[in-house]
Amino acid sequence: MSATADRPRPRIGVWQAVLLAILAFGAYATVIRYAQGLGAATNLSDAFPWGLWIGFDMLVGVGLAAGGFVVAATVHIFRMERYEPIARPAVLTAFLGYLLVIVALLYDLGLPWRIWHPMVMWNPHSVMFEVGWCVMLYTTVLALEFSPLVFERFGLKMPLKVIRAIYVPLVILGVLLSTLHQSSLGTLYVIAPDKLHGLWYTPLLPVFFFVSAVAAGVAMTIFESFMSYRAFGKRLEADLLRGLGRVIVVALGVYAVLRFEDLAGRGALALAFRLTPEAVLFWGEMGLGVLLPMALFAFKRVRASEQGLFFAALLTVMGFIVNRLNVAITGMQASSGVTYIPSMLEFAVTASLVAAGFALFGLAVKYLPVFPPGEVEPGRAPRRERRLALSRGTVALLWGLLLAGALGVAVSSALNGGAGRGDEAAPVAPLSAHVAEVEAELTSLPAPYTFPTAEESPGPVVFDHETHAALAESCLTCHASGWSVTIPGRPLAGELTYERIHEGDLCASCHDGESATAVDDDCAFCHGG
Amino acid sequence: MRPAILNDLTKCIGCEACALACKEVNGLPDRDRRGTLSADTWTAVEHRNGLHIRRQCMHCLEPACASVCPVAALHKTPEGPVVYDADRCIGCRYCMVVCPFGIPKYEWDEPVPKVRKCVLCFETRLEEGRQPACTEACPTGATIFGDRDELVREAQRRIEAEPGRYVPRIYGLEEAGGTSVLYLSPVPFEELGFATLRDEPYPGLTWDILSKLPNVVSVGGVLLAGIWWITGRRETLKKARSGEISVEEALARKPPLVPLDDDDRAAPL
Repeated sequence: MSATADRPRPRIGVWQAVLLAILAFGAYATVIRYAQGLGAATNLSDAFPWGLWIGFDMLVGVGLAAGGFVVAATVHIFRMERYEPIARPAVLTAFLGYLLVIVALLYDLGLPWRIWHPMVMWNPHSVMFEVGWCVMLYTTVLALEFSPLVFERFGLKMPLKVIRAIYVPLVILGVLLSTLHQSSLGTLYVIAPDKLHGLWYTPLLPVFFFVSAVAAGVAMTIFESFMSYRAFGKRLEADLLRGLGRVIVVALGVYAVLRFEDLAGRGALALAFRLTPEAVLFWGEMGLGVLLPMALFAFKRVRASEQGLFFAALLTVMGFIVNRLNVAITGMQASSGVTYIPSMLEFAVTASLVAAGFALFGLAVKYLPVFPPGEVEPGRAPRRERRLALSRGTVALLWGLLLAGALGVAVSSALNGGAGRGDEAAPVAPLSAHVAEVEAELTSLPAPYTFPTAEESPGPVVFDHETHAALAESCLTCHASGWSVTIPGRPLAGELTYERIHEGDLCASCHDGESATAVDDDCAFCHGG
Repeated sequence: MRPAILNDLTKCIGCEACALACKEVNGLPDRDRRGTLSADTWTAVEHRNGLHIRRQCMHCLEPACASVCPVAALHKTPEGPVVYDADRCIGCRYCMVVCPFGIPKYEWDEPVPKVRKCVLCFETRLEEGRQPACTEACPTGATIFGDRDELVREAQRRIEAEPGRYVPRIYGLEEAGGTSVLYLSPVPFEELGFATLRDEPYPGLTWDILSKLPNVVSVGGVLLAGIWWITGRRETLKKARSGEISVEEALARKPPLVPLDDDDRAAPL
């Protein structure tokens, strides 16, 4: 058997162009992000500090990589060795996923070069501290679980022996670390009960995040198998994937029951039946992403058909994505008072990371023993048979659902007058009406105030209310337009120029030589400090 | 002495001397005073419904922001104020997500961005025994500085002395577990944009969960190791019964079969 038969060549011709275009856009976004800051690159704001990069790159990215620990545990702890052939691709997917999550973090952090700080600066009360540590340790575990592929490729026997000896403890550690941080990503939001919408907020967020991660991670494994089948001609282990399908049914079933029970128990179920964007997206997530795939996977006929398996897995993954974006973005909109839509640059970075993930997976398959030898037979099946599993009708259905969902969100948003606009402040009442009443309240005049001094100034100017209040008829004399001496909205320092005062404005309106010493008489009179 | 501030909304004349003083002491540019907090405005006066409402960090007794900061950049000093160590901050902005009052602001356009909020003039004035710049600048005594317990008593005294003047509620007394900045108002607080919050401190919400994690790890670890041991034993037995491996090998394999006595050794299967 020649070497080329063992080294599959990914058929990604046209896709290569798409990939490069996405990466180019991502490179541009990267330059903007680091040269001009987060404000220029994103639509994040004080009112909405976490957006697409947290919601998708972090939350979805970590969750979809969950297949790694589930399959590794299945093979090495539960010893279902028949799943061995999909263990390596699952670990590869997970490893790449976590690497990309770390890269995404380098984009989102305001000070990414300080990403190492949690290693030495501790706050054990912080959920984010725990997540950071667990992700760091688990990525190390994944690297070690992944290393046999590299060691085998380069024939490094000794390191291989060492890793094999510690593999089971590594897998156990991996399961524990994953359980911790998959759930803790949900715990992050438990401290914000006033901000996260009632359809998603619950103290049980960690449980929901963990169960959905298991379901989605396994679905992602099925999805990856189909992608490998299509791209590299890898043999599809349909029987293994069917077994995974059964796991997903159970996971989704547990999830659905817990979720609806929790909503009902907190009196939040009614929120799902109002015509709001939140409700529409909730049903998108639960209906399409949980209930439908659960029903599909439960049928043997669906599990037996490649098309059915792929479609149900795809729905699960999509539903998971909608769920995480709902928690991070949809559910946080109403309380924020603003409407957040990610910028094109945010999309560019996210798309680049996903594209890079696919590309790196392909490279790994090409150069490392990801698949068992003999599994990949590129020339074997005729092209017609290897077409991927979605019929035209199914694709049309998917698009229809997507459009229906978008329409639902748009209609419900319009009905609600736009998502969560905060109350506008009432117009300012003229203050002069309150002056008399207020003058009685005065217990002391403001302390002497030193105006900002320009470089060219002969000395600082200090204004003392004591000397002026006695002379003015009332506070209104100076504060007629409000209690700011300058016009509201104009910066005090910038507008207090030599020209403005020495040409007769502000102080000079009285200090004109008749009512009071003129500004031009004696510099030291004002600039004496 | 627990440093605290009492804001009496019936006495505020909206002169913004507090905002101005704050900018001066902290070296903040006086760019825009629109009554809202920003990275450059750590206290602002919002003009609303004919009243002037001073907004600032509430310096919660059990702050959510300090509890969530992964590197303890935001932390509560033993004296009381919640302060910020810019050298530790990594810019994760989790504090901004969790503050129930929406206080921390970010320098989105700076190359080395910081989280910005009122720090009660902790290093600049409190440590020297002076009061914050804002309360010192106030000409009407609408915002005053003092010990929290004394200010609470003062607020109660004012409510009792002039019941028609105030809504009988001290905002900040119990909100979020109690804050160091307290408010008295002539109209219901909800009408002025004050959030209705839980009385229990926020950090407890996640600590309830985090504190259980060591149990999860220890129990989980033992469980997984146990499953590995049991499944291993089952597999070895299966292989020995099917003849795939010899009895001697089955006995020698790790994980070992359950402790054997002489009877077992004679007839292990």
